[in-house]
Amino acid sequence: MPSNRLHRALIVSHKPVGRGYYRLVLKAPEAARSALPGQFVMLRVSDTLDPLLARPFGISAVISRSSLEILYRVVGKGTTMLTTAKAGQSLSLLGPLGKGFPRPEKKTVPVLVAGGSGFPPLHFLAQRAGSRTHLFLGARNKECLPPADIVRSFKELADKVHIATDDGSAGQQGTSTDILDAFLTKTERREHLVLYACGPHAMLAAVSKIAAEHAIPCYVSMEERMACGLGACMGCSVPMKAGGYKRACKEGPVFDSREIDWSEQVLLKLKR
Amino acid sequence: MRKTKDNKSAIRKETRPDRIGKSAIESPDLSIDFAGIKLKNPVLTASGTFGYGEEFAEFVDLNKLGGVIVKGISLKPIKGNPPPRIWETPSGMLNAIGLENPGVDVFLNEKMPYLRKYDTAVFVNMFGYSLEEYVGVAERLDGAQGISGIEVNISCPNVKAGGMAFGTDLRATFELLSAVRKATRLPLIAKLSPNVTDVTAFARAAADAGCDGLSLINTLLGMAIDVRCRKPRLANCTGGLSGPAIRPVAVRMVWQAARSVSLPIIGMGGIVTGEDAMEFLLAGASAVAVGTANFINPRATLDVLDGIEGFMREQKIADLREIIGKVDAG
Repeated sequence: MPSNRLHRALIVSHKPVGRGYYRLVLKAPEAARSALPGQFVMLRVSDTLDPLLARPFGISAVISRSSLEILYRVVGKGTTMLTTAKAGQSLSLLGPLGKGFPRPEKKTVPVLVAGGSGFPPLHFLAQRAGSRTHLFLGARNKECLPPADIVRSFKELADKVHIATDDGSAGQQGTSTDILDAFLTKTERREHLVLYACGPHAMLAAVSKIAAEHAIPCYVSMEERMACGLGACMGCSVPMKAGGYKRACKEGPVFDSREIDWSEQVLLKLKR
Repeated sequence: MRKTKDNKSAIRKETRPDRIGKSAIESPDLSIDFAGIKLKNPVLTASGTFGYGEEFAEFVDLNKLGGVIVKGISLKPIKGNPPPRIWETPSGMLNAIGLENPGVDVFLNEKMPYLRKYDTAVFVNMFGYSLEEYVGVAERLDGAQGISGIEVNISCPNVKAGGMAFGTDLRATFELLSAVRKATRLPLIAKLSPNVTDVTAFARAAADAGCDGLSLINTLLGMAIDVRCRKPRLANCTGGLSGPAIRPVAVRMVWQAARSVSLPIIGMGGIVTGEDAMEFLLAGASAVAVGTANFINPRATLDVLDGIEGFMREQKIADLREIIGKVDAG
């Protein structure tokens, strides 16, 4: 039974792009055709059994309708091993997986909020969302921002890129949520604004709170550890306000921020 | 406890042809009679790694599998443990899902109708937090259509009551399985815990309680620590270790259990390839279940099946029964 979501994907190019990030372009025509912003793929970083599990990566762009772009930061054993994969080799790719961001309507003014290494799915969204988009980028300092090429690409795609760093080494001093809050407060016509956010859980909780205060719809993409990406391992559970959990891989990774139980979420993540 | 070695099981071949025709080797017979259940081949899915079948139907023609063992079902829906629930380890993973499931009624109304559409054996893994709950689930399953057998989980390491609390105490194992036995006519397979000193004592207890088969092994209790935060990696602190890392332990336990009771065994623990499966069959398992491998390759079950068939052709083995339990241990 041929599935169009399990592939050997050829590495078209694979290069470091600065600030600890790599850009991986994979030829996977079926996945590229159907991929939506906010969806992800599971990649096996090698064909050996250690590391055992595939890693989830948000799709950062579709290139020439046949390739997927993955932007990743080297954070551990898996991503370190992945850096050694060379153009011409192939990787096991499963995807696209999960539900993406709800497609912005014609009148929507998308407001994207990216923290840490959470910008890739928002880059794909910016590619598809049109030129009215605003992007808010936050980091500890300039060196923790996305690679310069990506920031440039965001500037080309979006109406405006707002940058904040904790130490003021780039953009305004403060957090992305500080400048987001200030922006929303001074914006008079808010009825077409929709927030789309991806980043650390604490940041997403703050964005969710701001969205509620300004009565603006808000969608968050939850990055969780997962084993299968198919809804079977039940490892990527996100606590829901209504009780119980939903799976980031299946019902997510994008959720309406009002669904999520942020109290438990933030508490647990800060604890660990 | 009563010895059960005398009634050599139905899985043994009654007659063996002196010569095996060429055609038999080209298409070896993978069918098996497991405790009276006809399986078209020995490849099953380990509970908790294959959802309720539907999650993998895009990748695997379920008709090709010997059977599906579904994710564990309880009397009432279970929310499961808080995250983080999983952590990767060398060639393995720890999990502490906490048996999250929608409960037996939702399972029978919403999951079973889907599985009934397929020509494959369905084994329902079930558990409870008390003896009464186990019996309650067994009674409900007993009246349902399309269920080939019940796998009784007495070995989950991730819940405080029930689960492993039953499976690591000989008397509790015997009493629980005896009570479940009375509650259903369906074939009963006891899924034993590896977190015991002598698995053969538990295998005998299951046989004495009237079980029809054994599954082994469940996950091994483990723990991982974030040394910088000085905190456990899992919110539950401990979890169950699975994957290729545990395979030698699983093969050993299957071998020990197969030598001490005559019940047919479903062997599982880190199977990724056909050769991995052959180890379990040679150790004495009549069937195998593919578990964690489903997470890294959704077609793993079919790869294992192809691997077994290829191995049989290569070794000129016409019938699985020529392999089961045939390790030459001197």
